[in-house]
Amino acid sequence: MSWRVLRLEGVGKDFTRADGGVAEVLRDVTLTVERGSFFTLLGPSGCGKSTLLNIVAGFEGATTGGASLDDKPVAGPGTDRTVIFQDVSNALFPWMNARENVEFGPKMARLGAGERKERADTYLRLVGLDADAGKFPFELSGGMKQRIQIARALANDPDILLMDEPFAALDAITKKHLQVEFRKIWSETGKTIFYITHDIFEALLLSTHLAVMTAGPKAGIKEVFQLDLAEPRSPSNPDFAAMYSRVETLIDEEVQRMRAR
Amino acid sequence: MNAGKLARLSVSILVFTGVWWTSSGTFFEEAIVPSPVSVAGKLGEMIWNTELFAHLGASLRRIVLGYALGCVIGIVVGVATGAIRLARDLIEPPLEFCRNIPPVALIPLVVSIFGIGEIGKYFIISYASGIAVLFNTAAGVASTPQIRVRAALCLGAHKRDIFVRVVLPSAWPHVLTGLRLALGFSFMGVVAAEMLAADQGIGFLIMQSTNIIAPAEMFVGFLMLGSFGLITDQLFRMTIHRLMRRYMIPMA
Repeated sequence: MSWRVLRLEGVGKDFTRADGGVAEVLRDVTLTVERGSFFTLLGPSGCGKSTLLNIVAGFEGATTGGASLDDKPVAGPGTDRTVIFQDVSNALFPWMNARENVEFGPKMARLGAGERKERADTYLRLVGLDADAGKFPFELSGGMKQRIQIARALANDPDILLMDEPFAALDAITKKHLQVEFRKIWSETGKTIFYITHDIFEALLLSTHLAVMTAGPKAGIKEVFQLDLAEPRSPSNPDFAAMYSRVETLIDEEVQRMRAR
Repeated sequence: MNAGKLARLSVSILVFTGVWWTSSGTFFEEAIVPSPVSVAGKLGEMIWNTELFAHLGASLRRIVLGYALGCVIGIVVGVATGAIRLARDLIEPPLEFCRNIPPVALIPLVVSIFGIGEIGKYFIISYASGIAVLFNTAAGVASTPQIRVRAALCLGAHKRDIFVRVVLPSAWPHVLTGLRLALGFSFMGVVAAEMLAADQGIGFLIMQSTNIIAPAEMFVGFLMLGSFGLITDQLFRMTIHRLMRRYMIPMA
Protein backbone atom coordinates (compact mmCIF):
# COMPACT_ATOMS: atom_id res chain seq x y z
CA MET A 1 0.00 0.00 0.00
CA SER A 2 1.45 3.31 -0.95
CA TRP A 3 0.00 6.09 1.11
CA ARG A 4 1.68 9.40 1.75
CA VAL A 5 0.09 10.86 4.83
CA LEU A 6 -1.88 9.81 7.85
CA ARG A 7 -4.46 12.50 8.49
CA LEU A 8 -6.51 13.27 11.53
CA GLU A 9 -9.22 15.74 10.65
CA GLY A 10 -11.46 17.49 13.13
CA VAL A 11 -11.37 14.53 15.48
CA GLY A 12 -13.65 14.85 18.47
CA LYS A 13 -14.52 12.17 20.99
CA ASP A 14 -17.23 12.08 23.63
CA PHE A 15 -17.71 9.39 26.23
CA THR A 16 -20.86 8.72 28.15
CA ARG A 17 -19.99 8.86 31.81
CA ALA A 18 -21.31 6.43 34.40
CA ASP A 19 -23.73 9.09 35.68
CA GLY A 20 -25.18 9.50 32.19
CA GLY A 21 -23.42 12.80 31.49
CA VAL A 22 -21.17 13.34 28.50
CA ALA A 23 -17.39 13.66 28.88
CA GLU A 24 -15.91 15.62 26.00
CA VAL A 25 -12.41 14.21 25.76
CA LEU A 26 -11.13 15.44 22.40
CA ARG A 27 -12.14 18.48 20.37
CA ASP A 28 -11.22 19.21 16.79
CA VAL A 29 -7.85 17.49 16.59
CA THR A 30 -6.25 17.95 13.19
CA LEU A 31 -2.82 16.49 12.45
CA THR A 32 -0.82 15.38 9.45
CA VAL A 33 1.74 12.61 9.84
CA GLU A 34 4.12 12.20 6.88
CA ARG A 35 5.10 8.72 5.88
CA GLY A 36 8.43 7.71 7.41
CA SER A 37 8.34 10.29 10.17
CA PHE A 38 8.61 9.67 13.88
CA PHE A 39 5.62 11.59 15.11
CA THR A 40 5.19 12.05 18.84
CA LEU A 41 2.13 13.21 20.67
CA LEU A 42 3.06 14.75 24.00
CA GLY A 43 0.61 15.81 26.63
CA PRO A 44 -0.25 15.83 30.31
CA SER A 45 -1.79 12.69 31.76
CA GLY A 46 -5.44 12.16 31.06
CA CYS A 47 -5.59 14.51 28.08
CA GLY A 48 -6.83 11.86 25.67
CA LYS A 49 -3.61 10.80 23.95
CA SER A 50 -4.47 7.12 24.16
CA THR A 51 -7.98 7.78 22.93
CA LEU A 52 -6.51 9.45 19.88
CA LEU A 53 -4.22 6.48 19.30
CA ASN A 54 -7.15 4.09 19.65
CA ILE A 55 -8.99 6.05 16.98
CA VAL A 56 -6.02 5.77 14.60
CA ALA A 57 -5.76 2.06 15.43
CA GLY A 58 -9.44 1.64 14.64
CA PHE A 59 -10.34 0.28 18.08
CA GLU A 60 -12.66 3.18 18.72
CA GLY A 61 -14.61 5.41 16.39
CA ALA A 62 -14.41 9.19 16.58
CA THR A 63 -17.55 11.14 17.51
CA THR A 64 -16.72 13.76 14.89
CA GLY A 65 -14.14 13.75 12.13
CA GLY A 66 -11.79 10.81 11.77
CA ALA A 67 -8.47 9.36 10.73
CA SER A 68 -7.52 8.46 7.18
CA LEU A 69 -4.54 7.19 5.23
CA ASP A 70 -4.46 9.54 2.25
CA ASP A 71 -8.16 9.52 1.38
CA LYS A 72 -8.99 6.09 2.79
CA PRO A 73 -10.77 6.46 6.14
CA VAL A 74 -9.76 4.20 9.03
CA ALA A 75 -12.74 1.91 9.57
CA GLY A 76 -11.31 -0.62 12.03
CA PRO A 77 -8.11 -2.38 13.07
CA GLY A 78 -5.87 -3.43 10.20
CA THR A 79 -2.50 -5.03 9.58
CA ASP A 80 -1.20 -1.75 8.14
CA ARG A 81 -1.26 -0.26 11.65
CA THR A 82 0.12 -2.21 14.62
CA VAL A 83 -0.13 -1.02 18.19
CA ILE A 84 2.67 -1.49 20.73
CA PHE A 85 1.04 -1.49 24.14
CA GLN A 86 2.59 -0.41 27.42
CA ASP A 87 1.06 -3.35 29.33
CA VAL A 88 3.26 -5.88 27.60
CA SER A 89 2.39 -8.81 29.88
CA ASN A 90 -1.18 -8.71 28.70
CA ALA A 91 -0.31 -7.75 25.14
CA LEU A 92 1.88 -10.79 24.52
CA PHE A 93 0.45 -14.30 24.32
CA PRO A 94 1.81 -15.82 27.54
CA TRP A 95 1.41 -19.43 26.34
CA MET A 96 3.62 -18.80 23.32
CA ASN A 97 7.38 -18.51 23.45
CA ALA A 98 9.17 -15.51 21.96
CA ARG A 99 9.40 -17.06 18.50
CA GLU A 100 5.75 -18.14 18.45
CA ASN A 101 4.68 -14.67 19.52
CA VAL A 102 6.66 -13.10 16.69
CA GLU A 103 5.29 -15.64 14.20
CA PHE A 104 1.68 -14.90 15.12
CA GLY A 105 1.16 -12.19 12.49
CA PRO A 106 2.79 -14.16 9.65
CA LYS A 107 0.68 -17.15 10.71
CA MET A 108 -2.48 -15.07 10.49
CA ALA A 109 -1.34 -14.01 7.02
CA ARG A 110 -1.18 -17.76 6.20
CA LEU A 111 2.53 -17.66 5.35
CA GLY A 112 4.39 -20.96 5.09
CA ALA A 113 6.50 -22.32 7.94
CA GLY A 114 9.76 -21.46 6.15
CA GLU A 115 8.94 -17.83 5.66
CA ARG A 116 7.51 -17.52 9.16
CA LYS A 117 10.74 -18.83 10.62
CA GLU A 118 12.78 -16.51 8.45
CA ARG A 119 10.79 -13.49 9.56
CA ALA A 120 10.97 -14.48 13.21
CA ASP A 121 14.75 -14.95 12.92
CA THR A 122 15.18 -11.58 11.24
CA TYR A 123 13.20 -9.58 13.78
CA LEU A 124 14.33 -11.45 16.87
CA ARG A 125 17.88 -10.67 15.74
CA LEU A 126 16.95 -7.04 15.10
CA VAL A 127 15.78 -6.64 18.70
CA GLY A 128 18.72 -8.67 20.01
CA LEU A 129 16.74 -11.64 21.29
CA ASP A 130 17.70 -14.38 18.82
CA ALA A 131 19.28 -16.35 21.67
CA ASP A 132 16.05 -16.24 23.69
CA ALA A 133 13.65 -17.36 20.98
CA GLY A 134 12.53 -20.41 22.98
CA LYS A 135 11.76 -18.52 26.18
CA PHE A 136 8.28 -17.73 27.38
CA PRO A 137 7.21 -14.22 28.41
CA PHE A 138 7.26 -15.12 32.11
CA GLU A 139 10.95 -15.98 31.74
CA LEU A 140 11.79 -12.57 30.30
CA SER A 141 12.28 -9.15 31.90
CA GLY A 142 9.97 -6.24 31.14
CA GLY A 143 12.46 -4.76 28.69
CA MET A 144 12.90 -8.08 26.87
CA LYS A 145 9.14 -8.53 26.66
CA GLN A 146 8.84 -5.10 25.12
CA ARG A 147 11.48 -6.07 22.54
CA ILE A 148 9.42 -9.15 21.69
CA GLN A 149 6.36 -7.00 21.23
CA ILE A 150 8.30 -4.73 18.87
CA ALA A 151 9.65 -7.73 16.93
CA ARG A 152 6.15 -9.20 16.75
CA ALA A 153 4.81 -5.97 15.29
CA LEU A 154 7.64 -5.59 12.77
CA ALA A 155 7.37 -9.23 11.62
CA ASN A 156 3.94 -8.35 10.35
CA ASP A 157 5.41 -5.56 8.22
CA PRO A 158 2.92 -2.81 9.09
CA ASP A 159 3.19 0.68 7.59
CA ILE A 160 2.75 2.43 10.90
CA LEU A 161 3.64 1.52 14.46
CA LEU A 162 1.28 3.07 16.97
CA MET A 163 3.09 3.19 20.28
CA ASP A 164 1.22 3.89 23.51
CA GLU A 165 3.89 4.92 26.04
CA PRO A 166 5.75 1.69 25.32
CA PHE A 167 8.68 2.29 27.65
CA ALA A 168 6.92 4.14 30.48
CA ALA A 169 6.71 1.08 32.75
CA LEU A 170 10.40 0.17 32.45
CA ASP A 171 13.20 1.05 34.84
CA ALA A 172 15.32 4.07 33.91
CA ILE A 173 18.35 2.16 32.61
CA THR A 174 16.37 -0.29 30.49
CA LYS A 175 14.26 2.55 29.20
CA LYS A 176 17.28 4.54 28.06
CA HIS A 177 18.78 1.56 26.23
CA LEU A 178 15.53 0.72 24.51
CA GLN A 179 14.98 4.33 23.46
CA VAL A 180 18.37 4.48 21.77
CA GLU A 181 17.94 1.07 20.18
CA PHE A 182 14.43 1.74 19.05
CA ARG A 183 15.50 4.91 17.30
CA LYS A 184 18.06 2.83 15.42
CA ILE A 185 15.42 0.28 14.52
CA TRP A 186 13.20 3.08 13.25
CA SER A 187 15.91 4.50 11.02
CA GLU A 188 16.80 1.02 9.70
CA THR A 189 13.25 -0.10 8.95
CA GLY A 190 11.91 3.27 7.81
CA LYS A 191 8.55 2.66 9.47
CA THR A 192 6.24 5.52 10.28
CA ILE A 193 5.90 5.90 14.03
CA PHE A 194 2.98 7.46 15.86
CA TYR A 195 4.23 7.69 19.41
CA ILE A 196 2.55 8.72 22.61
CA THR A 197 4.36 9.88 25.72
CA HIS A 198 4.15 12.30 28.61
CA ASP A 199 7.96 12.33 28.87
CA ILE A 200 9.46 15.45 27.25
CA PHE A 201 12.97 14.03 27.28
CA GLU A 202 11.87 10.88 25.46
CA ALA A 203 9.94 12.91 22.92
CA LEU A 204 12.96 15.07 22.09
CA LEU A 205 15.32 12.10 21.97
CA LEU A 206 13.25 10.15 19.48
CA SER A 207 10.99 12.25 17.31
CA THR A 208 11.16 14.03 14.00
CA HIS A 209 7.84 15.72 14.75
CA LEU A 210 6.28 16.66 18.02
CA ALA A 211 2.71 17.70 18.75
CA VAL A 212 1.98 19.10 22.21
CA MET A 213 -1.58 18.63 23.40
CA THR A 214 -3.67 20.91 25.53
CA ALA A 215 -5.07 19.62 28.82
CA GLY A 216 -8.42 17.85 28.76
CA PRO A 217 -11.34 17.85 28.73
CA LYS A 218 -11.90 19.06 25.17
CA ALA A 219 -8.20 18.48 24.55
CA GLY A 220 -6.71 19.60 21.28
CA ILE A 221 -3.35 20.31 19.69
CA LYS A 222 -1.47 23.22 21.24
CA GLU A 223 1.54 23.35 18.98
CA VAL A 224 3.39 21.18 16.45
CA PHE A 225 7.17 21.22 16.04
CA GLN A 226 9.47 19.76 13.47
CA LEU A 227 12.57 18.67 15.38
CA ASP A 228 15.77 19.27 13.46
CA LEU A 229 18.04 18.76 16.43
CA ALA A 230 21.77 18.06 16.21
CA GLU A 231 22.67 14.35 16.07
CA PRO A 232 23.43 12.42 18.13
CA ARG A 233 20.74 13.94 20.25
CA SER A 234 21.75 14.66 23.78
CA PRO A 235 20.36 16.79 26.59
CA SER A 236 23.74 18.55 26.76
CA ASN A 237 23.33 19.89 23.22
CA PRO A 238 22.24 23.56 23.35
CA ASP A 239 19.42 23.10 20.81
CA PHE A 240 18.08 20.09 22.75
CA ALA A 241 18.16 22.02 26.01
CA ALA A 242 16.49 25.06 24.46
CA MET A 243 13.76 22.92 22.95
CA TYR A 244 13.28 21.12 26.24
CA SER A 245 12.56 24.29 28.16
CA ARG A 246 10.29 25.56 25.41
CA VAL A 247 8.18 22.41 25.48
CA GLU A 248 8.27 22.28 29.25
CA THR A 249 6.83 25.81 29.38
CA LEU A 250 3.98 24.74 27.14
CA ILE A 251 3.20 21.71 29.28
CA ASP A 252 3.40 23.77 32.47
CA GLU A 253 0.90 26.23 31.04
CA GLU A 254 -1.49 23.38 30.40
CA VAL A 255 -1.05 21.90 33.85
CA GLN A 256 -1.67 25.35 35.38
CA ARG A 257 -4.75 25.78 33.26
CA MET A 258 -6.04 22.37 34.33
CA ARG A 259 -5.46 23.18 38.03
CA ALA A 260 -7.14 26.56 37.73
CA ARG A 261 -10.30 24.89 36.57
CA MET B 1 11.87 -34.37 48.64
CA ASN B 2 14.82 -33.47 50.88
CA ALA B 3 15.68 -35.17 54.18
CA GLY B 4 14.30 -32.40 56.40
CA LYS B 5 10.98 -32.33 54.62
CA LEU B 6 10.72 -36.13 54.74
CA ALA B 7 11.43 -36.07 58.47
CA ARG B 8 8.73 -33.46 59.07
CA LEU B 9 6.25 -35.45 56.98
CA SER B 10 7.02 -38.60 59.02
CA VAL B 11 6.58 -36.73 62.30
CA SER B 12 3.31 -35.27 61.10
CA ILE B 13 1.91 -38.67 60.11
CA LEU B 14 3.21 -40.33 63.28
CA VAL B 15 1.67 -37.68 65.54
CA PHE B 16 -1.65 -37.90 63.72
CA THR B 17 -1.74 -41.69 64.00
CA GLY B 18 -0.53 -41.51 67.61
CA VAL B 19 -3.33 -39.14 68.64
CA TRP B 20 -5.85 -41.39 66.95
CA TRP B 21 -4.39 -44.51 68.59
CA THR B 22 -4.22 -43.14 72.12
CA SER B 23 -7.67 -41.56 71.99
CA SER B 24 -9.20 -44.84 70.87
CA GLY B 25 -10.32 -46.82 73.94
CA THR B 26 -9.53 -43.91 76.27
CA PHE B 27 -11.14 -40.67 75.18
CA PHE B 28 -13.51 -42.47 72.79
CA GLU B 29 -14.92 -45.94 73.25
CA GLU B 30 -13.32 -48.45 70.94
CA ALA B 31 -16.76 -49.29 69.58
CA ILE B 32 -16.96 -45.74 68.29
CA VAL B 33 -13.37 -44.88 67.33
CA PRO B 34 -11.52 -48.14 66.65
CA SER B 35 -7.73 -48.25 66.88
CA PRO B 36 -5.54 -48.04 63.77
CA VAL B 37 -4.67 -51.73 64.29
CA SER B 38 -8.26 -52.95 64.11
CA VAL B 39 -8.91 -50.65 61.11
CA ALA B 40 -5.85 -52.07 59.36
CA GLY B 41 -7.08 -55.58 60.16
CA LYS B 42 -10.50 -54.74 58.74
CA LEU B 43 -8.88 -53.25 55.65
CA GLY B 44 -6.89 -56.48 55.09
CA GLU B 45 -10.01 -58.55 55.55
CA MET B 46 -12.02 -56.45 53.10
CA ILE B 47 -9.24 -56.61 50.53
CA TRP B 48 -8.99 -60.39 51.01
CA ASN B 49 -12.70 -61.02 50.48
CA THR B 50 -12.77 -58.34 47.70
CA GLU B 51 -15.67 -56.53 49.39
CA LEU B 52 -13.61 -53.33 49.36
CA PHE B 53 -13.11 -53.41 45.61
CA ALA B 54 -16.84 -53.68 45.00
CA HIS B 55 -17.47 -50.51 47.01
CA LEU B 56 -14.47 -48.68 45.64
CA GLY B 57 -15.25 -49.70 42.08
CA ALA B 58 -18.86 -48.54 42.37
CA SER B 59 -17.84 -45.13 43.75
CA LEU B 60 -15.02 -44.59 41.26
CA ARG B 61 -17.19 -45.52 38.30
CA ARG B 62 -19.78 -42.98 39.43
CA ILE B 63 -17.15 -40.31 39.93
CA VAL B 64 -15.42 -40.90 36.60
CA LEU B 65 -18.61 -40.89 34.54
CA GLY B 66 -20.39 -38.15 36.47
CA TYR B 67 -17.32 -35.94 36.56
CA ALA B 68 -16.55 -36.41 32.87
CA LEU B 69 -20.12 -35.55 31.95
CA GLY B 70 -20.15 -32.55 34.28
CA CYS B 71 -16.87 -31.25 32.87
CA VAL B 72 -17.94 -31.53 29.26
CA ILE B 73 -21.25 -29.78 29.91
CA GLY B 74 -19.56 -27.23 32.17
CA ILE B 75 -16.94 -26.31 29.59
CA VAL B 76 -19.34 -26.12 26.65
CA VAL B 77 -21.97 -24.07 28.48
CA GLY B 78 -19.27 -22.05 30.26
CA VAL B 79 -17.62 -21.04 26.99
CA ALA B 80 -21.00 -20.10 25.56
CA THR B 81 -21.98 -18.00 28.59
CA GLY B 82 -18.56 -16.36 28.67
CA ALA B 83 -18.42 -15.55 24.98
CA ILE B 84 -22.00 -14.92 23.86
CA ARG B 85 -23.88 -12.10 25.46
CA LEU B 86 -27.31 -13.57 24.71
CA ALA B 87 -26.31 -16.91 26.23
CA ARG B 88 -24.98 -15.16 29.31
CA ASP B 89 -28.16 -13.13 29.84
CA LEU B 90 -30.35 -16.19 29.39
CA ILE B 91 -28.36 -18.85 31.23
CA GLU B 92 -26.63 -17.08 34.05
CA PRO B 93 -29.55 -15.93 36.24
CA PRO B 94 -31.00 -19.43 36.81
CA LEU B 95 -27.51 -20.83 37.29
CA GLU B 96 -26.61 -18.14 39.81
CA PHE B 97 -29.71 -19.28 41.65
CA CYS B 98 -28.89 -22.98 41.37
CA ARG B 99 -25.28 -22.66 42.51
CA ASN B 100 -26.57 -21.79 45.98
CA ILE B 101 -28.37 -25.11 46.25
CA PRO B 102 -25.84 -27.68 47.47
CA PRO B 103 -25.95 -30.94 45.52
CA VAL B 104 -26.77 -32.81 48.75
CA ALA B 105 -30.02 -30.88 49.05
CA LEU B 106 -31.11 -32.20 45.69
CA ILE B 107 -30.70 -35.85 46.62
CA PRO B 108 -34.25 -36.47 47.91
CA LEU B 109 -35.67 -34.98 44.70
CA VAL B 110 -33.25 -36.92 42.53
CA VAL B 111 -34.15 -40.14 44.33
CA SER B 112 -37.86 -39.56 43.81
CA ILE B 113 -37.25 -38.91 40.12
CA PHE B 114 -34.58 -41.47 39.26
CA GLY B 115 -34.95 -43.95 42.14
CA ILE B 116 -31.83 -45.30 43.77
CA GLY B 117 -30.28 -46.36 40.47
CA GLU B 118 -27.09 -45.10 38.92
CA ILE B 119 -28.58 -42.28 36.86
CA GLY B 120 -29.45 -40.23 39.92
CA LYS B 121 -25.85 -40.52 41.16
CA TYR B 122 -24.44 -39.44 37.83
CA PHE B 123 -26.81 -36.52 37.93
CA ILE B 124 -25.70 -35.41 41.40
CA ILE B 125 -22.00 -35.67 40.54
CA SER B 126 -22.40 -33.98 37.16
CA TYR B 127 -24.37 -31.20 38.78
CA ALA B 128 -21.79 -30.72 41.53
CA SER B 129 -18.84 -30.71 39.15
CA GLY B 130 -20.56 -29.03 36.21
CA ILE B 131 -21.46 -25.87 38.11
CA ALA B 132 -17.86 -25.38 39.29
CA VAL B 133 -16.43 -25.90 35.82
CA LEU B 134 -19.07 -23.72 34.19
CA PHE B 135 -18.57 -20.65 36.35
CA ASN B 136 -14.79 -20.81 36.18
CA THR B 137 -14.82 -21.33 32.43
CA ALA B 138 -17.25 -18.48 31.86
CA ALA B 139 -15.16 -16.18 34.06
CA GLY B 140 -12.02 -17.19 32.17
CA VAL B 141 -13.53 -16.59 28.76
CA ALA B 142 -15.01 -13.25 29.80
CA SER B 143 -11.80 -12.00 31.41
CA THR B 144 -9.51 -12.20 28.39
CA PRO B 145 -7.48 -8.97 28.51
CA GLN B 146 -8.88 -6.49 26.03
CA ILE B 147 -5.46 -5.42 24.81
CA ARG B 148 -4.54 -9.04 23.99
CA VAL B 149 -7.55 -9.21 21.69
CA ARG B 150 -6.65 -5.82 20.25
CA ALA B 151 -3.05 -6.91 19.69
CA ALA B 152 -4.30 -9.96 17.78
CA LEU B 153 -6.61 -7.77 15.69
CA CYS B 154 -3.65 -5.58 14.70
CA LEU B 155 -1.75 -8.71 13.69
CA GLY B 156 -4.48 -9.74 11.27
CA ALA B 157 -6.48 -12.22 13.35
CA HIS B 158 -10.10 -12.69 12.32
CA LYS B 159 -13.00 -13.36 14.65
CA ARG B 160 -12.53 -17.10 14.58
CA ASP B 161 -8.76 -16.83 15.11
CA ILE B 162 -9.35 -14.54 18.06
CA PHE B 163 -11.69 -17.03 19.67
CA VAL B 164 -9.59 -20.14 19.07
CA ARG B 165 -6.09 -18.68 19.42
CA VAL B 166 -6.58 -15.91 21.96
CA VAL B 167 -9.77 -16.22 24.03
CA LEU B 168 -9.71 -19.97 24.66
CA PRO B 169 -6.01 -20.16 25.59
CA SER B 170 -6.43 -17.13 27.85
CA ALA B 171 -9.29 -18.93 29.61
CA TRP B 172 -7.44 -22.23 29.99
CA PRO B 173 -5.93 -21.58 33.45
CA HIS B 174 -9.40 -20.70 34.78
CA VAL B 175 -10.87 -23.83 33.22
CA LEU B 176 -8.25 -25.99 34.93
CA THR B 177 -9.00 -24.35 38.28
CA GLY B 178 -12.64 -25.26 37.73
CA LEU B 179 -11.78 -28.84 36.79
CA ARG B 180 -9.75 -29.28 39.94
CA LEU B 181 -12.43 -27.84 42.21
CA ALA B 182 -14.99 -30.01 40.46
CA LEU B 183 -13.01 -33.13 41.25
CA GLY B 184 -13.32 -32.40 44.96
CA PHE B 185 -17.05 -31.69 44.58
CA SER B 186 -17.47 -35.02 42.77
CA PHE B 187 -16.10 -36.86 45.78
CA MET B 188 -18.46 -34.99 48.08
CA GLY B 189 -21.38 -35.61 45.76
CA VAL B 190 -20.82 -39.32 45.39
CA VAL B 191 -20.51 -39.93 49.12
CA ALA B 192 -23.64 -37.95 49.88
CA ALA B 193 -25.61 -39.74 47.20
CA GLU B 194 -24.43 -43.15 48.34
CA MET B 195 -25.18 -42.43 51.98
CA LEU B 196 -28.80 -41.68 51.20
CA ALA B 197 -29.59 -44.16 48.50
CA ALA B 198 -27.34 -47.00 47.40
CA ASP B 199 -26.48 -50.60 48.03
CA GLN B 200 -22.80 -50.22 47.16
CA GLY B 201 -20.06 -47.62 47.29
CA ILE B 202 -17.87 -45.94 49.89
CA GLY B 203 -20.70 -43.69 51.11
CA PHE B 204 -22.93 -46.72 51.53
CA LEU B 205 -20.13 -48.54 53.40
CA ILE B 206 -19.85 -45.67 55.90
CA MET B 207 -23.60 -45.36 56.41
CA GLN B 208 -24.17 -49.07 56.71
CA SER B 209 -21.40 -49.50 59.29
CA THR B 210 -23.44 -47.62 61.90
CA ASN B 211 -26.47 -49.82 61.27
CA ILE B 212 -24.53 -53.03 61.68
CA ILE B 213 -22.26 -51.60 64.40
CA ALA B 214 -19.03 -52.13 62.52
CA PRO B 215 -16.95 -49.05 63.33
CA ALA B 216 -13.79 -50.37 61.66
CA GLU B 217 -15.63 -50.48 58.33
CA MET B 218 -16.54 -46.84 58.68
CA PHE B 219 -12.90 -45.96 59.20
CA VAL B 220 -11.88 -48.04 56.21
CA GLY B 221 -14.31 -45.84 54.29
CA PHE B 222 -12.61 -42.68 55.64
CA LEU B 223 -9.23 -44.14 54.75
CA MET B 224 -10.36 -44.76 51.17
CA LEU B 225 -11.85 -41.29 50.74
CA GLY B 226 -8.78 -39.60 52.17
CA SER B 227 -6.27 -41.57 50.15
CA PHE B 228 -8.19 -41.56 46.89
CA GLY B 229 -8.86 -37.85 47.14
CA LEU B 230 -5.17 -37.30 47.79
CA ILE B 231 -4.06 -39.53 44.92
CA THR B 232 -6.43 -38.07 42.33
CA ASP B 233 -5.55 -34.53 43.35
CA GLN B 234 -1.83 -35.31 43.05
CA LEU B 235 -2.39 -36.90 39.65
CA PHE B 236 -4.38 -33.86 38.65
CA ARG B 237 -1.61 -31.53 39.77
CA MET B 238 1.00 -33.48 37.87
CA THR B 239 -1.10 -33.43 34.72
CA ILE B 240 -1.77 -29.72 35.12
CA HIS B 241 1.88 -29.05 35.67
CA ARG B 242 2.64 -30.68 32.33
CA LEU B 243 -0.22 -28.95 30.55
CA MET B 244 0.48 -25.63 32.19
CA ARG B 245 4.21 -25.42 31.66
CA ARG B 246 3.46 -22.79 29.06
CA TYR B 247 1.59 -20.65 31.52
CA MET B 248 3.79 -21.09 34.57
CA ILE B 249 0.66 -20.72 36.67
CA PRO B 250 1.37 -21.90 40.19
CA MET B 251 -1.36 -24.33 41.14
CA ALA B 252 -1.63 -24.42 44.90
